[in-house]
Amino acid sequence: MNPNKTINLDYRRLVRISKGLDVSSHPQQIRIALLSDAATQQFVPVLKALLHENGIGASFYEGPFDAIELETINPASGLYQFKPDFVILLNATQALRSRYYSHGLEAEFERIPRTWNAIQSSSLCRVIQCNFPLPYERPFGQFDLKLQNSFYTAVQSLNSHLATLVKDQGNVLLCDLESVASDLGRRNWFDDRLWDMCKTFCALDHLPAAAQAMVDLVLASLGRVVKCVILDLDNTLWGGVVGDLGYAGVEIAAHGDGEAFYRFQQFLLSLKNRGILLAVCSKNDLSNAVAVFESNPNMVLKRADITVFMANWENKADNIRQIRDTLQIGFDSMVFLDDNPFERNLVRNFLPDVIVPELPEDPADYISAISSLNLFEVTAFSREDVARSALYKEEADRREAQNSFTDINEFLKSLEMRAAIARFQEEEITRIEQLFLRSNQFNLTTHRYSAAECRALMNNKQGCIPLQISLQDRFGAHGLISIVVAWPQADTLFISDWLMSCRVLGRGVEQYVMNHVFATARELGLKTVSGDYLPTAKNAMVKDFWQRFGFEHAGGTSWRRPVAAYQDIPVHITELAPELAAH
Amino acid sequence: MNSDEIKTRLTKVFRDIFDTPALELRDDMTADDIEDWDSLTHVDLIVEVEKEFKIKLSTGEVRKMKNVGDFITLIGSKVS
Repeated sequence: MNPNKTINLDYRRLVRISKGLDVSSHPQQIRIALLSDAATQQFVPVLKALLHENGIGASFYEGPFDAIELETINPASGLYQFKPDFVILLNATQALRSRYYSHGLEAEFERIPRTWNAIQSSSLCRVIQCNFPLPYERPFGQFDLKLQNSFYTAVQSLNSHLATLVKDQGNVLLCDLESVASDLGRRNWFDDRLWDMCKTFCALDHLPAAAQAMVDLVLASLGRVVKCVILDLDNTLWGGVVGDLGYAGVEIAAHGDGEAFYRFQQFLLSLKNRGILLAVCSKNDLSNAVAVFESNPNMVLKRADITVFMANWENKADNIRQIRDTLQIGFDSMVFLDDNPFERNLVRNFLPDVIVPELPEDPADYISAISSLNLFEVTAFSREDVARSALYKEEADRREAQNSFTDINEFLKSLEMRAAIARFQEEEITRIEQLFLRSNQFNLTTHRYSAAECRALMNNKQGCIPLQISLQDRFGAHGLISIVVAWPQADTLFISDWLMSCRVLGRGVEQYVMNHVFATARELGLKTVSGDYLPTAKNAMVKDFWQRFGFEHAGGTSWRRPVAAYQDIPVHITELAPELAAH
Repeated sequence: MNSDEIKTRLTKVFRDIFDTPALELRDDMTADDIEDWDSLTHVDLIVEVEKEFKIKLSTGEVRKMKNVGDFITLIGSKVS
């Protein structure tokens, strides 16, 4: 994600940037196909420039004008020859209008999902479907809402129909252009002259906002998501300074003086409930700061909602480094919120990857300012998201238990760990996709598979062995924490993917799984196990992975070890029947 | 605003849109004389002109324009 989230969405600026722009030097390259019943020649340069500013090189395929169905139905079309990673389906309200007036919208309810299915039967790419900005004409005035089939209400029901359908389509993401348009104001959004002149779907000035909405989805699909929000306390979470006013004296209340802070905390709680970790980073005495959470009855956020609590007089960059070490997540997945411009600039300076939005002077405007940045885009939502804060809390308990042991083996034994290794299961696909997206450090090849690709692995009949590993111990269930994809090839079992959540490092999970991998290779009568290590900016943690397991370097990125000599590594994990793996 | 003034400001817009800093406008210039002047950059041009001169041009007026001279006359009739 672009850490300078005060994005400049000036149309002319982006057009100028994209002129002659060479994006081939970006390490991350993606292919985007854009199919539309509007003209997209002005839109693509904007999209390209915005992705470039987010460090992504995109190449584009622009389908012929108004040929969405033709392109998607024909397996030999330019669309499929292009082999896109993403297909953006941009249907314009204006094009819909002419269909509405000639034969109604009923057909659209079927036609749009049909294109998704057509794409998915020929490609594993992700589909980004735009919904429809609501039109401004209302022949019946406000009475329109009472009618089922005015253009306005028909578009409304089409939008909600699409929203319902995508719930069961993990591979289709909805781009909420209606929300972008209503945010900017429908009258500014539409420019009918441009539609008449050259089929441009909105005012030129707003093309960047539309593109940004798609960029947000692309970034989230590529695993660039916010995992943690780090909060200052005084004048950010409550009004006033707790050191001066005491825990009962700070401004925080459902009504009156502290209402803005109260509302802000409700917003933060909703983030926490959707799986984003909350951390505190404040210049305060720890006991003063904690007292507000524990003893002020008006606080929405409680102590247990905060995963890491740093209140001291050290500088904030150092504290944020510590938060990162505790949570094992990257700086670029952290947002830092602080009312003090000095602290914001300090963090920007020392930790340029941390996302540090400007906060308005008035706390009443915090939520609207942060929401306008659309920082919390996500492509899926799973059980683990709901439970994430609790998982990290259990982790803290484990660490405490660990401190009471002097021998690591005794400690590991005391955890009573049980693991289940199973082929990918349909009910876990969301979590599997998410793990592919979110794992950066313990990830040997960093392939980002979409839900459709995960499902293709699951259903692969060519011998592919896609494994999901879940773990539990006496403190609770970790859930699905590791993935290994193996392929029997000639006389070797080739590991194309091996990744693991950093929450379970140092428990012997990878050793347990390696034993399983070699047992599998042996059962299949294969002579060796082989695998790759593809270095990225973030996965240095596993650069010696194969070596540590006694693999020999086999040239390039690949490693190999004979099966015959392998002896099981002792671990303190016992087998758990997959059906008992707690959810 | 006289037509020289309009021409100066219009030249600035043209140079920006077509990315040619040395571009000089002549009244008889048409889309054929400027390489990138197609129906899409035409729209970019219209929208930028509207911003530069704080005017609004109708679809019909835009259609009727045949060359740069027409453009200057049209802008002149709107700003005065």
